[in-house]
Amino acid sequence: MSGYLVRRLMLLVLMLVLLSMAVFVLFSLLPADVARLSCGKACTPEIIEANRIRLGLDKSVIEQYWVFVKGIFAGRTYPEGGGPAALVCAAPCLGYSFRKNATVLQLIGERLPATIWLALGAFVLFMVVGMVTGVLAALRRGRWQDKSIMGVALLGYSLPSFFLGLVVLFFVIIRWKLLPYPSYVSPFENPEQFFKTMLLPWIVLAILYAAFYTRLTRSQMLETLGEDYIRTARAKGLPERTVVGKHALRAGLTPIVTAGGLDLAGLLGGAIITESVFSLPGIGSLAVSAVVDPDLPVLVGITLITAFFVIVANLIVDLLYAAIDPRVRVAA
Amino acid sequence: MGKIRSRTGIVVVSAVVGSLILAACGGGGGDASGGASGAASGAASGAASAAASAAAGPQKGGTIYILSNAEQLQTLDPQVIYTGEDLAFLGATIMRSLTTYQMSPDNNEGTTLVPDMATDTGTATNGGKTWSFTLKDGIKWEDGQPVTCADVAYGVSRTFATDIIAGGPTYALVYLDIPSAEDGSSQYKGPYSGEGQALFDKAVTCDGNTITFNLNQPVPDFSYAVTLGFGAVRKDADTGADYANKPLSNGPYKIQSYQTGKGGKLVLVRNDQWDPATDSWRQALPDTWEYDFGLDESAIDQRMIASSGNDEFALSLGLTTASLPIVFDDPAYESRRIDAFDPYTRYVAIDTQKIPNEKCRQAIGVAIDREALRTIAGGKYAGDFADGLIKPNIGVDYAPTGLWDGLLGQPVPPTGDAEFAKKLIAEAGDCPTTITLDYAQSADADKAAAVWVDSMAKAGITLKPNPIEPGQYYGIVFDPEKAHELMGAGWGPDWPNASTVIPPLTTLNGGFDLSRWDDKDWNAQVKAAQTELDRATQATMWQELNTAAAQKMLVIPTRFGRDQRMAGTNVGPVYSWPAYGSWPYAAMGVTG
Amino acid sequence: MAADLVAPPERSSAKPDEVQGRSIWQIAWGRFRRDRAGMICLGVLILLVLIAIFAPLICHLLGVDPYALDPTAIDTEEAGKPIGPWGGASLQHPLGVEWGTGRDILARLLYGLRISLLVATVATLLTTAIGTVIGIISGYSRGAVDSIIGRLMDLILAFPFLLIILALSGALTERITSLGVPEGNASRITYLILILSVFGWPYLARIVRGQVLSLREREFVESAIASGAGTPRILFREILPNLWAPILVYATLTLPAYIGTEAVLSFLGVGVLPPETSFGLMLADSVKYFTIIPSYLFIPGTVLVILVVTFNLVGDAVRDALDPKAGRL
Repeated sequence: MSGYLVRRLMLLVLMLVLLSMAVFVLFSLLPADVARLSCGKACTPEIIEANRIRLGLDKSVIEQYWVFVKGIFAGRTYPEGGGPAALVCAAPCLGYSFRKNATVLQLIGERLPATIWLALGAFVLFMVVGMVTGVLAALRRGRWQDKSIMGVALLGYSLPSFFLGLVVLFFVIIRWKLLPYPSYVSPFENPEQFFKTMLLPWIVLAILYAAFYTRLTRSQMLETLGEDYIRTARAKGLPERTVVGKHALRAGLTPIVTAGGLDLAGLLGGAIITESVFSLPGIGSLAVSAVVDPDLPVLVGITLITAFFVIVANLIVDLLYAAIDPRVRVAA
Repeated sequence: MGKIRSRTGIVVVSAVVGSLILAACGGGGGDASGGASGAASGAASGAASAAASAAAGPQKGGTIYILSNAEQLQTLDPQVIYTGEDLAFLGATIMRSLTTYQMSPDNNEGTTLVPDMATDTGTATNGGKTWSFTLKDGIKWEDGQPVTCADVAYGVSRTFATDIIAGGPTYALVYLDIPSAEDGSSQYKGPYSGEGQALFDKAVTCDGNTITFNLNQPVPDFSYAVTLGFGAVRKDADTGADYANKPLSNGPYKIQSYQTGKGGKLVLVRNDQWDPATDSWRQALPDTWEYDFGLDESAIDQRMIASSGNDEFALSLGLTTASLPIVFDDPAYESRRIDAFDPYTRYVAIDTQKIPNEKCRQAIGVAIDREALRTIAGGKYAGDFADGLIKPNIGVDYAPTGLWDGLLGQPVPPTGDAEFAKKLIAEAGDCPTTITLDYAQSADADKAAAVWVDSMAKAGITLKPNPIEPGQYYGIVFDPEKAHELMGAGWGPDWPNASTVIPPLTTLNGGFDLSRWDDKDWNAQVKAAQTELDRATQATMWQELNTAAAQKMLVIPTRFGRDQRMAGTNVGPVYSWPAYGSWPYAAMGVTG
Repeated sequence: MAADLVAPPERSSAKPDEVQGRSIWQIAWGRFRRDRAGMICLGVLILLVLIAIFAPLICHLLGVDPYALDPTAIDTEEAGKPIGPWGGASLQHPLGVEWGTGRDILARLLYGLRISLLVATVATLLTTAIGTVIGIISGYSRGAVDSIIGRLMDLILAFPFLLIILALSGALTERITSLGVPEGNASRITYLILILSVFGWPYLARIVRGQVLSLREREFVESAIASGAGTPRILFREILPNLWAPILVYATLTLPAYIGTEAVLSFLGVGVLPPETSFGLMLADSVKYFTIIPSYLFIPGTVLVILVVTFNLVGDAVRDALDPKAGRL
């Protein structure tokens, strides 16, 4: 196991290095006018040049990448090499946003709570709903319960998130006035307002994701319910609840957990549409504003953090696999 | 379209368009001076509702909420703030300046200069080349230290650090008597590098509480210029570019917290070091100000209309087109709504170097359906048809140009005149048949582009719309290589003098000459008007230049913009402060 | 982030029956024909595609035009609001008109359908081609090539692709234009298609790779290798024909996902440019008005959902027909 772990960790580091390089190469395609963008009305070529140097854009992509990596471990200053009124970005430095006058880490840190709450709430909701409906559909295979569950799931699967979000917003908040307009607060500050704000985003994300888990759970259940040991368990006279809960569901759980872990990781990187529609101060809405009002350091930072979550989640899922099933270790 | 705060879609973030959002100190009794029909109603209703709110009377205490679609205030740095609304809000709360404008709904009073930190509005000597201001006693920073002359001088010096303090007004750079280096930049590089510090110390001197500015030319309206970018900053509190997030306050409030983006807030609480005896301008009524960022604009409208809960004490900064009929057809909202001129003239600049023939430019201006453009922007609520660069609410400098009433040889209806345009094209002979319109993309601007295509087609011109990401718009159109023949834009004066309109828009080194108009005689006339000391003569000169610019069709003036917004049921007074076309923040309080 | 905009991608690989050669299609078609829901959806789908292809003709027959401004249908005194209820619905404009311009909603919807289907179809074809080729190479070569491709796929799948698409749209569209594609919508649509394919292929490649790994071990492949057949022959003559089923299933489920993605991207301002339109653009425009005129939101939204649902149902039916054992996933 430990050998496998070491191999996987090395692979993780390699992936992170490759990923950060890919991000740098991709974003180096962006117009070099970033220096011009942070320049005002009295914009002269000299000021643009000074900005380029301050932002480190005068260097080659490779050098910029090196400065960036160094910044993560040792911090960096703007301009490089310090000087009067140089900005200090302490390690781990993911860059500094001159648009928002804050370090990228600080900006992401401020928005992480809303994103985490959104992801966790939605995760619990869609896992529970998805698995319960999936089991139900499998047990009633071919009957009306199965058909209606699968029909609703297909609809949920097909709804574009922004349309669903807008429709929910329109009816629940604007037409029926069941909830106030979303205004995010920390749950520790004002739990009531927090729940009123988060309820709809949770439901919207849950509808979008639950559909997938309904389908997955159902097909897993159908597969395991057909296995011999289930028939044996039934033949032994075990109650149906035990057969389904203890044997069938557990056996089919692994792919569900895998998918769940990866989805959770993806959501931690911010749900762009849902956060935007419901005005939540999360990573996703930060990303959109960094695109509209071009803010390169923030984009790079968010891309890396998000990809980092996914890669780590992949590793955790694989390790869990290996812990459960020794054959995986050998195969890898 | 232009450098104006645009309210766009739900996720397409609005706010900063380039970094060229300008302050605008339009004002003056323009409504009465004719030319722009149907303008009077807004100002009148604004004044009436002010009276209505006054009856209930704003009181001390409570919290006022500002609901904003923007993700943040562009900056809190006194040297960088350049947006009218921000100047009004931050000026009323945390940032005092040497002079400011009277707090009044009246167009003349509301643009009258009054002292703030200074004891008067400044003394000019040396033929307008030397200006002095004396600071009042007892003005303190939020940590209790006094605001000194040195703090003001230090603040001004920061403008010279153009690599760190970028994007703000540059009047200090332009006017202070500091020699330029060979490349055209100032020999003084700002307080951080300290290069050329002696030059600055000679141009700006302190004698006790009196600060003296030595200028490189006579500047008759320098006391207006000090409202922009001349705020005080204390050297030991300066954090460079970072100062934009947490400046030290010298006003009646200080920053408690500031988070940008969706769900972000700026919370201001009372500053106990502020002495009302030094400040007759700020009422400082509410205990707290809360600026809520990143809200969906439709949601803001709905909340303002409902005005329930804390929204009773809320202010919005605009209304979406869809909400206008609801709010303005219902008398129930009369005391809570504003319909007034905003500071901006909207226009489409024509690159005079790409289309040098005057008649060709006139043909384009004659062909366009200005009425359809205005309808897309919100019809009568979007503004009045513009007849030049100078807007009526600037005051004495405005006179109707008659652009659409015969200046071009025959009257032109708002819907455009394709036949007349064809005639002009035939007379000119060498007009381009295919032209491109650059514009900052938004849903409304896309629709406007469709009107352009349609109107030009009727006159036999093929128009290609070229939408540009709003954040990159001005970066592209100011690059002659990348820009095309037509460019959408908007401009508001920095203070009530056309010296902040005609020179920037029609001279190449003015800073905003999208038309790339560069004519020797013209430049000389502009210079003469700029330095004319007699205000009445100066006004006539501006009026003539404005008419000439319209006739030459350097730009196609489309609209004198108007602005609508709403207050909650228990906040007032409700009127548009003519100085910045903003809420009268310094006078506002909760009324319930 | 990717998962936020479309339903989560398929993660488990389809397992096609080990049916020999030609007969599989006849068997599958027989099964498909008996699936009533599938047949109805296929009918609806064909109808929608025909409507999209003949949109200009239909608009002409109905007397509507997606680009023509109609100042008579809007009230200039009321900020450009359409005259009459339901967004100004009338005989002349059956589904109403746009706020401020009076352009016909029905005509714009039909033209929007065209663009959405065009982008999704071409992107699906491209994705499928790339995914199949790389999947085969990866699975057949095994070893170092396989593991490099594997890491590359991991890398691509780890990217927050919606964010990347948004961030790079301006720069890459400009590049595409500079490569000779006409400026404007041609470049933008090319960008959409390319970027969707670049981020979409790994899903299929994984499925194909898994199939190829097991096919390689089978006797008919081994005998082909033993008889000295060249690699291309083995890949395309022996292995590829056995992959059509999972590829087809994947493609029919990718297409609706791309329709949704295209709508999201247009909604966020990266899609087609006006005066052209698409579902996403119409929905983005509705945001400002839908509290007053809900039909702006519900008309394009409903058509979009119908389109995606029917595609998904047909996809499910195709899968059931090709592989009844796999169950619905």
